Amino acid sequence: MFSGSSTCGQPQRRVREIKPHLCSDPEEAAVTRSCEDGVAAALAAALREVAERRRELEQRAARSRALLGRWGSEEEEQPQPEAGSSSGHENRPSLQELEALELLNRALEKALKVRKSIRKSQLEAQGAAGEKPVDEGPAPKNAQEQQVPVSVEDVPVTTKVRSISRKPASLKKTSPYKLRAPYRTDPDVKRTQRKAPDRCVSQGPRTAGKSSSKGMACKQGSSRRTTSSARDREARAAAEPQKTSALSRSALDEQQSFSIGDSAGGKNSVAAGKWLLEAGKKSCGSLGESSKKDHPTAEVALGRSTSPRTVTLQEKGCQLKLPLPYRQAYSRNSRAWERCHLCQTSADAAAARNRFIERIQTTFCSPMPAFSPAEIEKELMVLQDVPSLLSQDVEAEPADHPTLQREYESLLTLEGLQTTVSQCLHKLQLLRAAVESQMRLRPDCTGDLRSCSPACVPPMGQTCDSAGMLAVPLLCYSSFQELRDLFALKLQVSVLHQEIALQKVMMAELLPVLESRLYPEASAAQLYRAIYTQLCEGGRRFPVLVRDELAD
Amino acid sequence: MLPPHTVGGREAAAAERDVAAAGAGPVAAECSRCAVPGPAAPRPARPRHPPPRQSLDFWRLLYALLKQIHGGKWSESDAIDNQIRFVKSAFWYHGYGRPELYQLPSDGSAGSRELLLAFSWLLHRLSLLEQLLARNRVKTGDETSVCTCEDDLPNSQKGTTKIAPEYGLEDRVDVRYLQWLNGRLRFQWRSLHAQHQEQCKLLHKIHLFTSGSHMDQILGHFSVTETDLIRQPENYKQLLQLLESETMQLEAFLEWKQLEPVYWQWMETVLDNMAEEGNTCKSQDTHVEKKGLPKATSCCPWADSLIGQIDRLSRDLMTLHEQLHDLVTHRKAAWCEKVKTREELQKEWFSAIARKAQESVELKLLDLAHLCAPEKKKKHGSCRLVFRSKHPASKTGSGRSISKESVSAVSATEVIRELQMREASLEKELKQLQEECRQRLGEIAEGLDGVICISP
Repeated sequence: MFSGSSTCGQPQRRVREIKPHLCSDPEEAAVTRSCEDGVAAALAAALREVAERRRELEQRAARSRALLGRWGSEEEEQPQPEAGSSSGHENRPSLQELEALELLNRALEKALKVRKSIRKSQLEAQGAAGEKPVDEGPAPKNAQEQQVPVSVEDVPVTTKVRSISRKPASLKKTSPYKLRAPYRTDPDVKRTQRKAPDRCVSQGPRTAGKSSSKGMACKQGSSRRTTSSARDREARAAAEPQKTSALSRSALDEQQSFSIGDSAGGKNSVAAGKWLLEAGKKSCGSLGESSKKDHPTAEVALGRSTSPRTVTLQEKGCQLKLPLPYRQAYSRNSRAWERCHLCQTSADAAAARNRFIERIQTTFCSPMPAFSPAEIEKELMVLQDVPSLLSQDVEAEPADHPTLQREYESLLTLEGLQTTVSQCLHKLQLLRAAVESQMRLRPDCTGDLRSCSPACVPPMGQTCDSAGMLAVPLLCYSSFQELRDLFALKLQVSVLHQEIALQKVMMAELLPVLESRLYPEASAAQLYRAIYTQLCEGGRRFPVLVRDELAD
Repeated sequence: MLPPHTVGGREAAAAERDVAAAGAGPVAAECSRCAVPGPAAPRPARPRHPPPRQSLDFWRLLYALLKQIHGGKWSESDAIDNQIRFVKSAFWYHGYGRPELYQLPSDGSAGSRELLLAFSWLLHRLSLLEQLLARNRVKTGDETSVCTCEDDLPNSQKGTTKIAPEYGLEDRVDVRYLQWLNGRLRFQWRSLHAQHQEQCKLLHKIHLFTSGSHMDQILGHFSVTETDLIRQPENYKQLLQLLESETMQLEAFLEWKQLEPVYWQWMETVLDNMAEEGNTCKSQDTHVEKKGLPKATSCCPWADSLIGQIDRLSRDLMTLHEQLHDLVTHRKAAWCEKVKTREELQKEWFSAIARKAQESVELKLLDLAHLCAPEKKKKHGSCRLVFRSKHPASKTGSGRSISKESVSAVSATEVIRELQMREASLEKELKQLQEECRQRLGEIAEGLDGVICISP
């Protein structure tokens, strides 16, 4: 591994770090456990689900792209290559992937040696110019710390990505797309502009757009395109570097997850390498193609347009008309919806209905629980966000106040919050009792309870405006940024749900392994570190394990 | 059309048949039409003693309708007793408390009147028809869901599947394999994010370029489907047909609204009849049944997950409660100190101050109360994405639309805010879990000799 070879350079340190074994014997370093179906199966299921969502999304995106291109041309739509999906279906890294990662690891080692020597000379040359704040950090630290927190990892990993980027760069030259003039290869500039690679997804979209293309760890030339001034290009290229930057970010992740630490030479951790190269190739291919698609007007300008009858949405969009049959059907349909929405229940009907409902409710089992299962779930859903909301409010109250009035207000607010908390607690008790009494009434439905979950059942009962369901549901957004934030947040919530579920499964499976000591003693440390990373840092950062030895 | 009054059970059954043709006809037809989008309820295979047709059909109809509401996978091949079990548990879920329903035999051979009562109750309770119409709405726009309900489902499909990992027969799993899978998963999420962002860009462009073209001024621009429709109309014949059939369904719904009074009156008579008959045979059986069935609460994953949630929330709130208690006591003491030293001012400005303070605090807390209460009309389901720029001309937006009441527009800002709240609480939950792991691992680390762990 990249730092495994060096020895302790600071004699005053009393500790020596644990190095992972360069695995000649997989058994020794391999950490074993019996039957971890739970976690592996959960992860595999999650992967399948994500792959499915990506496929669907890709189809929709392909359709939209076709719409934005030239219309009226007879060419078939080129199938959009799905970056990274080639490996989406296997759950084992293939042999080529393993070999490729082995090669990459070696390249990384070499690159690191080079970097060290460069850095030493640079340090002397530049002194403490703040140009490389990130680099200065790890420089005094010893490179033998292979388990390093993320801010330092940025730097060593850079070199790896750069070594890969040489390959797709050469492939790129074959595509018709030309690199823009401001393309630079100065690694230092890239490094300072780059943000930490494993920024959470939620922060990603907020810095999306310009800053993401500039701030991403995207070493490939596409990042340079977005710095150009043409708005078109930027809009178009914004999509592309996101693909490649996603890939390169993932490259960093992959590195973090297994090249550092455990995987040295491990057979099954070489996945990223080959697949990353393939993905890189494919994304370059798609860049070439989609650049053609999205930039039709440029083609016209270049005099390469084929037929004068083709038209783009950009030019003709506001003059388009839906075909007549559809228009008629649509307007009939929307009028019918309107009539249904405005149609009121007649007073007779309402009276008769209420009488019936009252009477039938008298025939229900006499001590009916206070909440039906549906209501319990609905109430819980509402209460889910309350604790974090309330604690935010509590923290928002400042400790000091300029005036007595403010102080009094603050006191009242806190008391009000206290009342709210008590009310919520009380309600939770009621809900708990309701759950238990409902369980007693439950009919025999073995195992099919998944189907009893709400699946978006809207509020019901008399408070619900039943005609309100018939209104046209619209979600209005007012800017591009809003749309992007919306989707990014939705995805982030979904991802967090999955992470929490996986975390629970992993806790249930992995912690007992450590607690029960059923593993070969030699690999205790690696196992511990791996499990620590997975459970406590979300697989992103590694703890440092130091062996406690007294210097002789 | 008026339901004939009946005396005996058999006549009631006969009345049912008549009524099924007449009174319930529109309703059942409406429901069947709503059920059409999914696969049609299969004709039952004839069992040895063919049960009365209505009961079986009724069970199947209820199954079809409830499956749509609950969004589950439609299993045509489900045997009748599975379907019946599903229907019973769905009724329980929605709070139907009439024990006779749950005692109906699971071969579907009897009970059409009970089913009729249950069905009518459901009709009101869930606003069944309106819901089905809304759910099965033909989607011509760029649909996106507004809530996170799918994610909130107790995810029993994760981690408990019987799908064996592709490891084959080894039952030892390398933790690095798990790390690898995890890394891949994160990569996929990021790619998905990138794809979403690209899709946003494409959507926005299409919306922008086609602004002003839609004949429906509320919408203002085309969706992807509509634009594609213009480009390749031949691909969308089915869409037209769906629109037409939906219009017919809506008209049937309007007819039903006319018949509604009759229907409910008739239902009352059914209840009357059943009460008359039922009095003779209603016995202590029901009580015995209730107590005699030992329901082990622990074997129900639904209850377990809910109780888990409740416990977690209670814990969080308890800590908050204690924290608040300390804070309030402390602040109150400080306040009293401050005020004591100004006794002479107390009476006069205190009441003025108090009033103003109370008003502003009430406003603040009112917002909070709204959030904690479930009456808040949270938008659910999928909505059509519409771009409305904050243009002064269209600020009054709904002013020049056709009929603003028939549109319920949610703004992306609200949804974003709610999502941010959800995100915050989920992150908090995740961090708590991680913290718990850290503690446990810290304890374990003490057991590892000679090794010190320094966390990042």
